[in-house]
Amino acid sequence: MADEVTAELKQKIIDYLKAVSKAKNKEVAKDIGVDKHVVDKAIAELSKEGVIEYIYLGASFIKLKDA
Amino acid sequence: MGRTDIGPPDYQEMLPDIIKKNYGKWKYHENPRPGVLRHVSETGDEIYTVRVGSPRLVSIDFIRDLCDVADKYCDGHLRFTSRYNVEFITDSKAKADGIMEEVKKLGLPVGGTGNGISNIVHTQGWIHCHSAATDASGLVKAVMDELYDYFTSMKLPAYVRIAVACCINMCGAVHCSDLAIVGVHRRPPKIDNEKVLAQCEIPTTIQSCPTGAIRRHPDPNVKSVVVREDLCMYCANCFTVCPAMPLADPVGDGVAIYVGGKVSNARKPPMFSRMVVPFLPNNPPRWPEVVDVIKKIVEVYAGSARKYERMGEWVERIGWEKFFKLTGIPFTEQHIDDFTHAVETYRTTTQFKW
Amino acid sequence: MADETPLLDELEKGPWPSYVKEIKRAAKKNKASKDLLGIQELSYKDRVTHWKHGGIVGVTGYGSGVIGRYCDVPEKFPNAAAFHTVRINHPAGWFYSTKALRKLCDIWEQYGSGMTNFHGSTGDIIFLGTTTENLQPCFDALTENGFDLGGSGSALRTIAGCVGKARCEWSNIDTLDLVRNLTTEFQDEIHRPRWPYKFKIKASGCPNDCVAAIARADFTVIGTWKDSLRIDQAAVKNYADNGFDIKGLVIDKCPTDALEWDEKAKELKLRADDCVRCMHCINKMSKAIRPGVDTGATILIGGKAPIIKGAYLSWVLIPFMKIEPPYDEIKDLLRRIWDWWDENGRTRERLAELIERKGLKTFLREMGIPPVPQMVYKPRANPYVFF
Repeated sequence: MADEVTAELKQKIIDYLKAVSKAKNKEVAKDIGVDKHVVDKAIAELSKEGVIEYIYLGASFIKLKDA
Repeated sequence: MGRTDIGPPDYQEMLPDIIKKNYGKWKYHENPRPGVLRHVSETGDEIYTVRVGSPRLVSIDFIRDLCDVADKYCDGHLRFTSRYNVEFITDSKAKADGIMEEVKKLGLPVGGTGNGISNIVHTQGWIHCHSAATDASGLVKAVMDELYDYFTSMKLPAYVRIAVACCINMCGAVHCSDLAIVGVHRRPPKIDNEKVLAQCEIPTTIQSCPTGAIRRHPDPNVKSVVVREDLCMYCANCFTVCPAMPLADPVGDGVAIYVGGKVSNARKPPMFSRMVVPFLPNNPPRWPEVVDVIKKIVEVYAGSARKYERMGEWVERIGWEKFFKLTGIPFTEQHIDDFTHAVETYRTTTQFKW
Repeated sequence: MADETPLLDELEKGPWPSYVKEIKRAAKKNKASKDLLGIQELSYKDRVTHWKHGGIVGVTGYGSGVIGRYCDVPEKFPNAAAFHTVRINHPAGWFYSTKALRKLCDIWEQYGSGMTNFHGSTGDIIFLGTTTENLQPCFDALTENGFDLGGSGSALRTIAGCVGKARCEWSNIDTLDLVRNLTTEFQDEIHRPRWPYKFKIKASGCPNDCVAAIARADFTVIGTWKDSLRIDQAAVKNYADNGFDIKGLVIDKCPTDALEWDEKAKELKLRADDCVRCMHCINKMSKAIRPGVDTGATILIGGKAPIIKGAYLSWVLIPFMKIEPPYDEIKDLLRRIWDWWDENGRTRERLAELIERKGLKTFLREMGIPPVPQMVYKPRANPYVFF
């Protein structure tokens, strides 16, 4: 289903974040071509799993958690 | 990892029984004396609320002191207002008197109701903020010491809401307060080129400037930015996105004073506060220049406004030209707006006073 | 460590309760609070702040609720070198049991400086000052005891409402239940910042607007009524008999001249069509005049402080809407607004600034809301119309 968070989608997001220093959810969704609401859900799960973290630089962004 | 996304406790668990019983059934209230409200319910029940001033920045032992009072007189409940006052709600006048005795022992004032001056809504200031152009808690303390009698009485034409914001981000309803004290910078950012390279994204930094004053550094070998100082109005938006551009300056920073805003829809619609003093220096610990101006404005208002007239309504009736005359505050070129919606403030009539 | 604080000591004098005394109280038990006192004294001496921009700090799974804060003179004040803020979502209406408050105090005694704000200006309980290591255990202790973090960053901020029906006869809507319901529904939006910038929701029960919703919230709910206000003529007579100047202080001050005073009969008449429900007469004659019974709210949007393009008061979007659980209409509207703003907004652009850039007309079309004259003070004067 297009509106379900899959392991494949999570991996796509991780790969995307590997290439950038930080991003907004909107940019991730646009660049990997997946509906923003699903990406939001996937990012929430990744944050609960401790894979990504949030950074505040005048606005909030996400990034991969430093190993 | 523990639980997440549980949200705050349900307010219903926090309500005293008498509030639960009369929820949505209140009929009317009165204000028998400063700091005390009496609410009467359709059920015939009545409650007394004792409103108490707090410095907002408090220790956990202060909160425990409040709890002791609430345990003794209020069925183990209390509440806070949107202006940081503490409210003890109880079911009899005798208990309300007891609360007043107890809080007096704690050194806390009873008041903040009706046509007086309630607690000052304020921000963090030098106590905890990286972008503060002034302190907040200290300014509040200095101003409230001076206006203390207005907190504990109800003798003004209408209530006067005061707010302090330690920079123009204004993390409080400062822009719509009867009296507002706002921390301002007067010097452009000091750019640390090495830190810009390490900590900032140059395109984001350039975009952050509302007047387009930030450009790439003219030397392509220097990966940094420059600021056109003639375009900078010191808003510090760039500093928020790029920590390598601080504006804080001991001489440049100080406070501005704004007058006549309101949020209530009663009588005149809500309105913005307007600048009456563009700059006063930071003079801790007691900011005497600021306290003097605030006191002067309150006194002129108290003597000139008609009953129930909010400060902004009073100024609209008498005219700003009269306001400056009565208060003796000088009108300068800084008072004339030159930002986004400036022309709306220019006078387009021959009607004015001398 | 600073043992002498001559400047701050000045602020222990005077009748208003002193925050300096409070820091000193906390400093007796806690080294970080002692250093906080020293940092504040240094700022008073230097006349600048000694706090730096925050870095990445937070608790697992959240991007909100913790504000990172580091001192710029850590060598002088090692115990407050990292002094992070924790924002805790308050129970709606800021009511507390002393049991809950004492628990919060105990948690903060264990994990933080012992200094707090009751409350921050958005409405959260603020725990002021802890180390990076203590954040997660502090959060875990909070959730074990039924509390959770509030919003920060580009997220939905902690929702606030006035005291409402709990202790006010003027509340046209149940602000506490609305705030509680929306807060529960939008936990993800509060805790995981993903939008262009912050978004605030505030609800006031009547047009007196005790939480300043119209000035401070992107989404403003203000209770009002559609029918006529209620007048108890016997109570009106009482006011008159007690010497209250009804003519001078109420009738003459009605902004739309909607009230009439029959001096002989001591009767108050209302021209209901002219009333704009401003609250003035109700405020001044609480025992005699009350809001109507067909109650609901006006929804307004866009209120904000000056950064970046100037301050805005909220604009009328929906003149009247029933506000009843489960509040689906409001939730649906909020989601549509967020989607449009997130899609079109630039980084750090608030809703009002985006609407101004794109035009209110575009926004209304996108939301599927028909234009009505209540949305404007007056129609346009210029001829430059896009058809």
